[in-house]
Amino acid sequence: MDQNNSLPPYAQGLASPQGAMTPGIPIFSPMMPYGTGLTPQPIQNTNSLSILEEQQRQQQQQQQQQQQQQQQAVATAAASVQQSTSQQSTQGASGQTPQLFHSQTLTTAPLPGTTPLYPSPMTPMTPITPATPASESSGIVPQLQNIVSTVNLGCKLDLKTIALRARNAEYNPKRFAAVIMRIREPRTTALIFSSGKMVCTGAKSEEQSRLAARKYARVVQKLGFPAKFLDFKIQNMVGSCDVKFPIRLEGLVLTHQQFSSYEPELFPGLIYRMIKPRIVLLIFVSGKVVLTGAKVRAEIYEAFENIYPILKGFRKTT
Amino acid sequence: MAAITVYLPISSVLDALPRVTCPNHPDAILVEDYRAGDMICPECGLVVGDRVIDVGSEWRTFSNDKATKDPSRVGDSQNPLLSDGDLSTMIGKGTGAASFDEFGNSKYQNRRTMSSSDRAMMNAFKEITTMADRINLPRNIVDRTNNLFKQVYEQKSLKGRANDAIASACLYIACRQEGVPRTFKEICAVSRISKKEIGRCFKLILKALETSVDLITTGDFMSRFCSNLCLPKQVQMAATHIARKAVELDLVPGRSPISVAAAAIYMASQASAEKRTQKEIGDIAGVADVTIRQSYRLIYPRAPDLFPSDFKFDTPVDKLPQL
Repeated sequence: MDQNNSLPPYAQGLASPQGAMTPGIPIFSPMMPYGTGLTPQPIQNTNSLSILEEQQRQQQQQQQQQQQQQQQAVATAAASVQQSTSQQSTQGASGQTPQLFHSQTLTTAPLPGTTPLYPSPMTPMTPITPATPASESSGIVPQLQNIVSTVNLGCKLDLKTIALRARNAEYNPKRFAAVIMRIREPRTTALIFSSGKMVCTGAKSEEQSRLAARKYARVVQKLGFPAKFLDFKIQNMVGSCDVKFPIRLEGLVLTHQQFSSYEPELFPGLIYRMIKPRIVLLIFVSGKVVLTGAKVRAEIYEAFENIYPILKGFRKTT
Repeated sequence: MAAITVYLPISSVLDALPRVTCPNHPDAILVEDYRAGDMICPECGLVVGDRVIDVGSEWRTFSNDKATKDPSRVGDSQNPLLSDGDLSTMIGKGTGAASFDEFGNSKYQNRRTMSSSDRAMMNAFKEITTMADRINLPRNIVDRTNNLFKQVYEQKSLKGRANDAIASACLYIACRQEGVPRTFKEICAVSRISKKEIGRCFKLILKALETSVDLITTGDFMSRFCSNLCLPKQVQMAATHIARKAVELDLVPGRSPISVAAAAIYMASQASAEKRTQKEIGDIAGVADVTIRQSYRLIYPRAPDLFPSDFKFDTPVDKLPQL
């Protein structure tokens, strides 16, 4: 589970090619968690970059989330039966969702406020009648395609050393002032800047993004820099889904003029800028929808639930 | 004296003055003829008042007159809608011997710095006029463009963008608003700005001015493209009909209206005596010939339904080229 996909640890002290500037820090010890308790993290308790600990922490959180979910699914299913419109239910649910979807891995957890179509093995088979709100929810869940996150490694880095010694790293200072590093699991790309800040892109879920960022930080740490893991923040989330029917974009741009921009000469899709939540949706004639600009997963879900009835109204009839 | 009087209706500002009325028609509103300075009754043609200031020009200046002897005592015509009124004066060139120093250069050289606050705006207006002139746009579009540019410039929300880009985007919006849209590629052809930058500025300006424009349709471009290809009117009407029907029947979902128009022109021209190749149409419309091919493949299966009923086929429908 502990994947050392960067350079082998022994190579540090021995082959420093071309007299590269290795910092005079003693070779790491795999057992020594670096910087424990020095900088308090807002979310997690340990500052260690150990992947094993990260995954254990994720599993613990999963179990906690599922227990919370069971309680909340019961509560919200009962509540959603009483609520009249799905609008209210999404708003009510979105108030609860931030804590629910905070660090959620891809489980079969149903959305609160939507009818669990097939009860997941985690939720209890309590005799709650399936909620049939006045306007039904879509039943389509947008899939996350990309997460962009940033983290501060907390120390200045020498990009040349990193590029020379790390595997899968490219550095072309004339083109771009950062090292571009890639790992295979989770399949992500990181831009590592000399100030110590790092951007991690390409992950498919929040937890994977965090895990990948930790792996990159571990690589940098193994190269001898005193890397920490400060201020991990997800900056952007991209999701996509398919409403399974063709859409009349011309009608949509006529009625929602202040939010939509449809210029077939410039881009074949309609660009819908939703105000609340602040999400940009790209809507295509085929019925595919791309949602972007979210900081949390719930915003994507909420935006899709908001747009789905509008799109149904502009379904192509032929 | 052959005087072609021009009847110009006057506004009700003159109501405050002691009213002169025609003796025969007291409640007729008098029409002012500014050329001769008369006020004329529209009912019977009687000239009632004749003490109106003539606003015609004092002197007429011809181009072959010597440049130094311009007797006109007034400046250029005012452009009050745009650059803040033109109430600045210029010192003319000196004529006597005292105005030249020992080398023969004129002593007073400051003929520049007229309206420094709006220098960029005047420059942009000049650029807009040049661009519009290249594609023969009428004056009303140019005026609309100037107004849009002035609004955007005063708002300062797009201050960092190149003025030429803003001007090109304003030209595009003005053409759209007047109901005669030009494609982005056509505007690119007369401007030094890239299509991407014009597109970006276009979206920013719509947001800054909080306006919107109508969606482009295939029919907007038919007359221009067909004329450029020297196609007769029947072919143009057939192409318009084909494109409209194709969009109605939803044969070309998601395709740009320009591509659909180009494919319709291709189909119509191939069915008539005046055949045009895809490359020629692609050059005029600014679409690649593979794009025309793609759209043509989509409309080809329903070709018999798309043609207008009264179209005279030179090449029958089943013999249309199949790509």
